[in-house]
Amino acid sequence: MKLFFRRVFSVAAKEYKHILRDPFTLVVALVLPLVFVGMFGFVIDLDYKHMRLYVRDNDQTSVSRRFLQEVSSSGYFDQTPLHSPSLADAALQKNNTPAVLIIKPGFGRHVKTGDPSSPGRLQLLTDGTDNVQASIIQIYMRGIVEATTALFAGEDAPAASSRIRTRFLFNPELSSRWFIVPALSTVIIGLLAIMLTALTVAKEWENGSMELLLSTPVRPAEIILGKLIPYFLLSLFDVLVVFVLALTVFRIPFEGSFLLYMAACAIYVTGALALGLVISVVTRQQQAAIQFAFAVGLLPSFIFSGFIFPIENMPLFFQYFTALFPQRWFLLISRTLFLSDAGLAPLAPAFWGIGLFAVGMITLAVFKFKTDVEP
Amino acid sequence: MKTEPNVIEVENLTVAFGDFKAVDGISFYVKRGEIFGFLGANGAGKTTTIRCICGLLNPTSGTVLVDGKDVSSHTAVLKPRIGYMSQKFTLYPDLTVRENLLFAGSLYGLRRKDIKPRAEELMRFIGLSQHLNEPVKLLSGGVKQMVALAATLLHNPDLIFLDEPTAGTSPITRADFWRLIRTLAQNGKTVFVTTHYMDEAEYCGRIVLMERGRIIATGTPEELKKQFFPVPPVELVFTQPRQASVREDLQRLNLGTAENFSGGLRVRVTDMEGFKAYAQTREGVFTYRPVAPTLEDVFLKAVSGRNAQ
Ligand SMILES: Nc1ncnc2c1ncn2[C@@H]1O[C@H](COP(=O)(O)OP(=O)(O)OP(=O)(O)O)[C@@H](O)[C@H]1O
Ligand SMILES: [Mg+2]
Repeated sequence: MKLFFRRVFSVAAKEYKHILRDPFTLVVALVLPLVFVGMFGFVIDLDYKHMRLYVRDNDQTSVSRRFLQEVSSSGYFDQTPLHSPSLADAALQKNNTPAVLIIKPGFGRHVKTGDPSSPGRLQLLTDGTDNVQASIIQIYMRGIVEATTALFAGEDAPAASSRIRTRFLFNPELSSRWFIVPALSTVIIGLLAIMLTALTVAKEWENGSMELLLSTPVRPAEIILGKLIPYFLLSLFDVLVVFVLALTVFRIPFEGSFLLYMAACAIYVTGALALGLVISVVTRQQQAAIQFAFAVGLLPSFIFSGFIFPIENMPLFFQYFTALFPQRWFLLISRTLFLSDAGLAPLAPAFWGIGLFAVGMITLAVFKFKTDVEP
Repeated sequence: MKTEPNVIEVENLTVAFGDFKAVDGISFYVKRGEIFGFLGANGAGKTTTIRCICGLLNPTSGTVLVDGKDVSSHTAVLKPRIGYMSQKFTLYPDLTVRENLLFAGSLYGLRRKDIKPRAEELMRFIGLSQHLNEPVKLLSGGVKQMVALAATLLHNPDLIFLDEPTAGTSPITRADFWRLIRTLAQNGKTVFVTTHYMDEAEYCGRIVLMERGRIIATGTPEELKKQFFPVPPVELVFTQPRQASVREDLQRLNLGTAENFSGGLRVRVTDMEGFKAYAQTREGVFTYRPVAPTLEDVFLKAVSGRNAQ
């Protein structure tokens, strides 16, 4: 056991020297987070206000008129009346129309009675090509329906909408920035960590030093752990940089427990670093490894994390499929901890998600590590 | 020497890469404390064989025993006893000599405080103490090879594999290397060395000649020379400038193969009686004397003999 730690330590110390002497790694670790934050941060920071909304009111009651007033005064929508229902499709086909709202007859009656057996007739058509915007419009609209319902029904607001209300509490301004920056940290930290380690084993193969390593009694687990440690510390530094940028440049509040957040980052980063090592161990070539790392680091963080496509809008299969990706779980943790003061309990599944991934990847890297020089 | 036990025993070793057999059913042994030379042209299968003995490559078939233990199932016990200097340079160019040595040593579980004096002692042994704090990438080719040797010897292995240690180095470095190799053997180490240079093979206790995955000759340099040259080669010096006809005559009369060398011919005589008779008919044209065969001669004859079959 003592030997084990001695070897792990000397691999780590060697790797640390490589980092200090290799400008590429240092640039990736220190400059890339700034570039990414700048690039994504300002491009993605859309402001969802004054969105065009075509409206057709077929109810024409005092309730429906009051509701449309509320829609106006929210400031999110600029209304344009729609004179014929058949124009709805045509309107949506134009690129500048994010949504069409159709109030069906009976809407007013339902709101007044609050009778769940006769559902309100309100149809919202959104342009799904901008998924984020579509979801945000839905959230806004439900909020406004809720507010209107509350106006007419007094204290007895239907319980069905209360789940939506909690979202508003966590992001009362519904600022896209607040939603996106915590997600951005998921992408940036994950990608960086994968890129940092993806080259390290491949480099040993290309450089010939793998033959030295393999001819000594050093074991795969010792090499893998030794390589993880210095990059882990480097990545935690990046985590802090991104965190500070989020708070200062983007002025995002941080409501949750910092310790919990750092613990999640440590686990998430470990998984990503180990994934980088798996890529390196398998490809054995730096060129292939870096391309792989880029694809594996970037695509799932956008597609399967809930960043661009909200998980709850996905087909059921994909909702389960995304559970394989730590980005999904870390995104959840990151958003939750930035926007609420939740404790560990509600996040436990997410912690399991990133934890199992990290353990799995380390095991895979050790297991896949070849101990002979066969092609 | 004869009573020393076999430290390496290779039986019917075959290594195939796809359909291609890089090593094709070879068997040999190495005795403790000897300098064992593994010779062969490019692609003969030398590196592949060494990798099998060091446990870096699994044989396709056959057995490799080190101290009677099967290599593939005893790697953990055997690796600390083996020092392997790869043909390819394997140290880290961005680390200094000292850092490289400390790292290599620590992988064998040596303590830092034990490695330091050992590294310094080795660098003195090799005569390169002044380079200890230089990054490896700044060293010249010969010095790099020497440092690689030091890294190989750090954990004091008793079985040392050197894969073309002198390739691409200057004659001076080559001489230094062989001086070190002999010292190692005198200290009881077994040294397994591969080379292209046939003159270096003269320093070896025993030799295996390989060609295209097979062994074509084995023995001490003396045995090989006797085996392939029952008749010693002859150096023929012209007293008159009439070389061409003599060379043609030798070929025509089937007396041996001749090569030019400065001022005459070097003839690997096949028929000594015939050659003597022919020389008498050419009195005054050249003089000749038998010379000791070199391993170069042996190698060429062994290869041409095989190709003729
Ligand atoms: N990993 C591999 N995959 C396929 N072929 C290989 C591999 N390694 C070696 N070979 C082939 O096996 C043959 C023997 O290679 P090996 O390196 O053992 O020769 P060698 O005697 O060491 O030659 P050299 O003097 O060039 O070092 C060569 O033809 C080589 O191309
Ligand atoms: Mg070779």
